[in-house]
Amino acid sequence: MTPAILLLLFGVATAVLSLQIRVGTLRAPGSGFFPFYVGLLLILLAVIHLAELRRRGRDRGGDKMGAPPQNSWRRVLLFLGATLLSTGLLTFLGYSLAAFVLMALLLYILGVRRWVHVVAIALCAAGVSYALFVLWLQIPLPTAGFGL
Amino acid sequence: MDVVGALQYLAAGFSVATAPENLFYCLAGAVVGTLVGVLPGLGPIAGIALLIPATFNLNATSAIIMLAGIYYGAMYGGSTTSILLNVPGETASVMTCIDGYQMARKGRAGPALAICAIGSFVAGGLAILGLAFLAPPLADAALAFGPPEFFSLMVFGFVVLSNVTGGSLIKSLMMALVGLIIGTIGLDPVSGNPRFTFGQVSLLGGIEFVAVAIGLFGIGEVLVNVEQPAEVLEQRVLVPRFRDLYPSLQDLKESVGAILRGTGIGFGVGLVPGPAPVIATYASYMVEKRISDHPEAFGHGAIEGVAGPEAANNAACQSAFIPLFVLGIPFAPPTAILLGALLIHGVNPGPAMIAEHPQLFWGVVASMYIGNFILLLLNLPFVPLFANILRIPKKVLLPLVMLFCLTGMYSVNNFMLDLWVMLGCGAIGYLMRKWAYEGAPLLLALVLGPRLEVAFRQSLMISHGGFGIFVERPVSLVFLLATLGFLLLPLFRYAVRSLGRRKATAA
Repeated sequence: MTPAILLLLFGVATAVLSLQIRVGTLRAPGSGFFPFYVGLLLILLAVIHLAELRRRGRDRGGDKMGAPPQNSWRRVLLFLGATLLSTGLLTFLGYSLAAFVLMALLLYILGVRRWVHVVAIALCAAGVSYALFVLWLQIPLPTAGFGL
Repeated sequence: MDVVGALQYLAAGFSVATAPENLFYCLAGAVVGTLVGVLPGLGPIAGIALLIPATFNLNATSAIIMLAGIYYGAMYGGSTTSILLNVPGETASVMTCIDGYQMARKGRAGPALAICAIGSFVAGGLAILGLAFLAPPLADAALAFGPPEFFSLMVFGFVVLSNVTGGSLIKSLMMALVGLIIGTIGLDPVSGNPRFTFGQVSLLGGIEFVAVAIGLFGIGEVLVNVEQPAEVLEQRVLVPRFRDLYPSLQDLKESVGAILRGTGIGFGVGLVPGPAPVIATYASYMVEKRISDHPEAFGHGAIEGVAGPEAANNAACQSAFIPLFVLGIPFAPPTAILLGALLIHGVNPGPAMIAEHPQLFWGVVASMYIGNFILLLLNLPFVPLFANILRIPKKVLLPLVMLFCLTGMYSVNNFMLDLWVMLGCGAIGYLMRKWAYEGAPLLLALVLGPRLEVAFRQSLMISHGGFGIFVERPVSLVFLLATLGFLLLPLFRYAVRSLGRRKATAA
């Protein structure tokens, strides 16, 4: 049910926001015309889908989501969280250091536990990507101190 | 255009494609494509998107030569993991797993890999011929298309794509609508008014489709992999040695028919909206099994079950370039990304493109011949080299893919917002997989959305607000009727089934 409700809300939000842009008429469609009707169509489909799910749910007694086992669900959250953190620190730490932090955190989360391995692999990855993207391709990635 | 004219153009295309720098980019595309195909979790969609920034300093022809190489290169690479590991490197190699892996278990990994490479090469070569001779006359015909025809054709494309991607039709259609809505963020393409930007200057340019593509298809896939149990993450692959790589004469004889049939099936399927390589491999496998003298061998290492599908996915991925080059309308995500790349390089795809940029079209077509030849070389003697990548355990591979996605995304626009959009789409892509929603319709709608809206509003302006224009023009009417047919098909099937059930209960 959850995704269908989210889609319904997304459709409602789109339609409401489009009304503020000027929908216009068929003869002279405004900027809000296209998103407004696409939003309405999304609302319609989401409602049909919800009705379908309810009917099927009554047949089978509730629709169960294929939720992953508790442990790995946590690992996905940690993995994503560590990525968001390193990305947030990118401008502060500079690319090379942020890349090192990202690699070290992700390797640890995925179960590389010997710190020598973590540091060595993260150092190599950060070094190679720095050489490739900054030195060779000359992409202006954020730097902190010493041009790193 | 007559045959002689086409051959002259093709010759000119070869002089473009054999320029040293274009040869280099063709090779680069083939290598990256093979890598992307071999690596699970990084498919051709994310692969092409990630390499777009590397083409910024190139001219449009070199850029498309390289990016197209990634697409068809991935079809070669994907078979390697299917045969050696029973893990498809990308979705188009699922069918190859069935008999390919069985062949490998019987010690025939070498011939299986070789027949894949040969089949792909033959199919690629034949399909490019079709592309070269069919695309120009089709483009001439499509020049007569106006906004109503393009609108109906795009609607047709979305509905067919949603119908064949697998899973629920209504879910896929909703994804297409979400893509259309996201595509409206930024400046209105007709009047230039800002929409849904919430006063943010950074949103005026719209949502970067590369960020959505890498997020949904790259990061989403990585997250799904992260979820796997610890043993899988530890897993290392033992790559067999390839002492006898070359297939016997008997193998070749058994595969010739399958390869040719696979080419035909693939070429046809590639012209239709949808994940063509995936459908083509499935169709080819079923055909081979049905017409075989020994259908019982399928599933236990029948070489036709490897040769046919592998030829089909390559042919499909070459002929998928026809709608892109002829109409400027991609029918599947990888060609949608190529459309984005064309726009970035200032080429406006559409029926006039082949006439306006002959060096681009014919150069890319000629480069596909060269690329297929390079891939044959890469995938025959060098296959052990690529297979060695699979020795890296997933717990190291996944962080590397993540680092590469982040860095690659930043290099597209040097813009932090893109990174957040990409990571957000990654999380959404992960949830979509959990909830069985398809990403392909969303991405295609995002890329095509602005063109669809412009075509729709222009049509209404031409007709002074009447919807009649969409049904009065015959070509447009045909597409709309076909669309209606595809929408009603599931309803019809449902009705027949429930009628059958009622009869059964009555009896």
